[in-house]
Amino acid sequence: MSVQPRSPETGGTSPRLRWWRGMVLAVLAGAVLAAEAQADGNLFQEGVAAYRSGDYARAADAFGKEAVLRPASGTLLNLGNAEWQRGQTGRAILAWERARWLDPFNNQARNNLAFARKTAQLESPRLTWFEVVSTWLPNSAWAWIAALSLWTAVGLVTLPGILRAPKAAWHQAVAACGLAVFLLSLPAHLGIHTRSKLGFILEKDTPLRLTPTQEAQYVTRLAAGEPARWVRYSRGYVLVRTSRAAGWVEQGQLGLTVPSDR
Amino acid sequence: MVMRSGVPGRRSGVRAPRRLRLIYRKFGQVAAWVALCAGLAQITVAQPTSPPPVRDPLMSLMMSQPRLELGPVRATAAFDPPVARPGMESVYRVTFNALEDMIKWPGEVPAPADLPLRAGAKGQILQMTGTNMQPRTTYNFRARAESPGRFTVPEFTVLVSGQPVVVPAASLEVMRDPPIPVTPPQMLILELPATNLFVGQSVTARILSPGLPGGVVQALAQAQINGQGLIMDQSASRQRIETVIRNGTAIPTYIFETLVTPIAAGKLSVFAQGYSVGNRFTGTIIIQGPAVIPGGLPQYTLVDSDPVELVVRPLPSEGKLPGFTGAVGSFTLEPPQLSSGRLQVGEPVRLTVRVRGSGNLARLVAPPAPRSSEWQVLAASGENIPPQVRQAQGFAVFHYTLVPLAEGERSTPPIPFCYFDPERETYVDLTIPSLPVVVESGRMAADRRPLAQARKLAARTEQDELALSGLSAAPGPAARSLKPLQQRVWFPLMHVGPGMVLLGLFLWDRRRRYLEQHPAIVWRRRARRALQRQRRALRRAVRRGDAGQFAVIGVSALKVASAPHYPAEPRALVGADILPLLPEADRAGAAGEAVRRVFAAADALEFGPTAPAWDSLLSLHPGLERALAILEAKL
Repeated sequence: MSVQPRSPETGGTSPRLRWWRGMVLAVLAGAVLAAEAQADGNLFQEGVAAYRSGDYARAADAFGKEAVLRPASGTLLNLGNAEWQRGQTGRAILAWERARWLDPFNNQARNNLAFARKTAQLESPRLTWFEVVSTWLPNSAWAWIAALSLWTAVGLVTLPGILRAPKAAWHQAVAACGLAVFLLSLPAHLGIHTRSKLGFILEKDTPLRLTPTQEAQYVTRLAAGEPARWVRYSRGYVLVRTSRAAGWVEQGQLGLTVPSDR
Repeated sequence: MVMRSGVPGRRSGVRAPRRLRLIYRKFGQVAAWVALCAGLAQITVAQPTSPPPVRDPLMSLMMSQPRLELGPVRATAAFDPPVARPGMESVYRVTFNALEDMIKWPGEVPAPADLPLRAGAKGQILQMTGTNMQPRTTYNFRARAESPGRFTVPEFTVLVSGQPVVVPAASLEVMRDPPIPVTPPQMLILELPATNLFVGQSVTARILSPGLPGGVVQALAQAQINGQGLIMDQSASRQRIETVIRNGTAIPTYIFETLVTPIAAGKLSVFAQGYSVGNRFTGTIIIQGPAVIPGGLPQYTLVDSDPVELVVRPLPSEGKLPGFTGAVGSFTLEPPQLSSGRLQVGEPVRLTVRVRGSGNLARLVAPPAPRSSEWQVLAASGENIPPQVRQAQGFAVFHYTLVPLAEGERSTPPIPFCYFDPERETYVDLTIPSLPVVVESGRMAADRRPLAQARKLAARTEQDELALSGLSAAPGPAARSLKPLQQRVWFPLMHVGPGMVLLGLFLWDRRRRYLEQHPAIVWRRRARRALQRQRRALRRAVRRGDAGQFAVIGVSALKVASAPHYPAEPRALVGADILPLLPEADRAGAAGEAVRRVFAAADALEFGPTAPAWDSLLSLHPGLERALAILEAKL
């Protein structure tokens, strides 16, 4: 049996062996990726199957995991349905609000929110005019519209001079339109920013405390699904403002539309 | 003494004594009172007498009940059977002579670690003790020991009405070969025709209480099925005793049948329980086959069954038809009947609908009255009969009252109705069909006219009724995060790119404009680059020893380095143009000599008839380099 000398460049492996090793690694990587994609798809389908079999707890768990991995409007809609069937009104409303946050055109989520609020005698969040504007389009659409309109306006103002192209009337018109669109989109961005601080009470009869302490006096009790705006955070408590009063709730009792990094 | 004759008291010649007069007067008053009382008594007797007070029947019923005996609370605890084989189940039973609400049962029973107890039934029954009733509350636990030994549940304390009551210790002897025959504890058997159900699907559950050895059958009291998300229809229960073949043996068995309906989806765990009460049957019972009914006072023993797992699925939202009111089973509709086929506008008519079938017939809800602009349909009224009667008779009857609101109607409105068939797992249409009628003109009541107009509006609003949507079939386009783009780090950073590009373009344009105003900068830069190239070529020519190329390249380099100083086209320059650019000392020195000779050699090479002498031309390289360095420094 002959032993081939190990070359320092290849680490002692022949090119064919390296090729095969690369191929195996590529196949394994592809299989892992495919398995992950399959697992992601399985979570959604698993949730659907569990929901249809009446196992709402398992359905909510599967949809919740899927929503964490890949937030999508349909997943969040189904998560809300499962939570509603479990009797978790607050979590259902939060999921449907998130579904509408991602896709304001999701009529099923809107219908379910109206249904849940009518059934549970809850009020809708009171939105300012710029927040209402921000709901007209998806959040990402507003961002891209603002970016494209701004750079289009800036480009059409500056580039003809730089490139020594004669300034045409349409340059001016498009630049003006771009600037107008950008300026008009600013309130929507403000609305998105403030709406991202909007939360919903998750547990029923959540106490609204006067101070951020466990022994604090209760101002009132909030119903599950009641909207509240995040104002400030302090030592595990969140200062919220509701339509009725302002006070502190435990952080885990409030679900924000956009989860906080804290 | 002088006596007067005549009537006493009468004024006469003889005056009665004073005492006698007083006696007469009193007698007269008494007689008057007696007469007055007698008259009043006559009047009173003449009037009708008031009836004696009648006791409230409910109060009478309550008062006729035996007294509840609540004496000192005692607890008993025992294993049934007290001797078992390894792996055999035994029932650990704790009984109090107290009401269930009085007992605060602890979370866990201090059982030995190798004798796990599983909670079973608990219940309360009132036991007759002579003329009184005594409450008995029992807690059952299943125990199973896998190895032989003596297992003792120590005594522990339970609070009853706030007072501690000691539950005595109880022991279970587990032996492989018990000295006496061991009979398993009396247990119930819960039988369900299916364990995979839909919400609202009623099934007949059977609670079987097998007879004891010797054919002794005991009745069950308070038989019930326990479990979350399930309702038991006591009104539809039946009981009988029949011989059941179990494990090849005919056993007289008490059977209690009832209807159960799951009302919550998911996995449900249910079990049956009841008190074996000997011969105390309540209600009608059918006995088939031989059975021995024990006599004497019953011993109330709480018995239960093993739990049964049910998988209850929600009714699918897909394919749901109009008019669904929760009917689950299999139903048929008899031809509906109308009380009259010829009507006038505003005249009510009665529509009778009879639904037959199996399923939750006892709780069948009539389909809602449809909204029509031509008819006013009042909500259905069912027959005023108990649910168990409806279940027993096998059909339900609904009565609708229809009022025509428009003339010329030819048929009654169809009433949407459907049921869910659990066998086929689909909704089945059972719409109550239209019936032909003739509606003639009549006097419509004034209050029905706005009703007719409101019908059309109501029909529209009905479409806007809210309901929970179905599931989304697909997740839809996924986002990376719920955080909006505006708040992500990369999005603002992304705009640095176009900004930098535009800034670069701006700076480039500014520089370009500056260079346009100062072209000498460009010329000098170009000259420096060209000079670098020529110097490299010059050195190559020197290395090759090519004097001709040396002269040509040297001249070209000198012209390129000198052109920006005039400015002029490099090719237009001659040696005399180069020399003034050199300092005075260099002009007279080696550099100036090299310039002159190189130009001479190049001119000779280009214009002369013969080749010039190259002997010492390459030796001019240092001088030429010096001249080029001086010119480059000036650029």
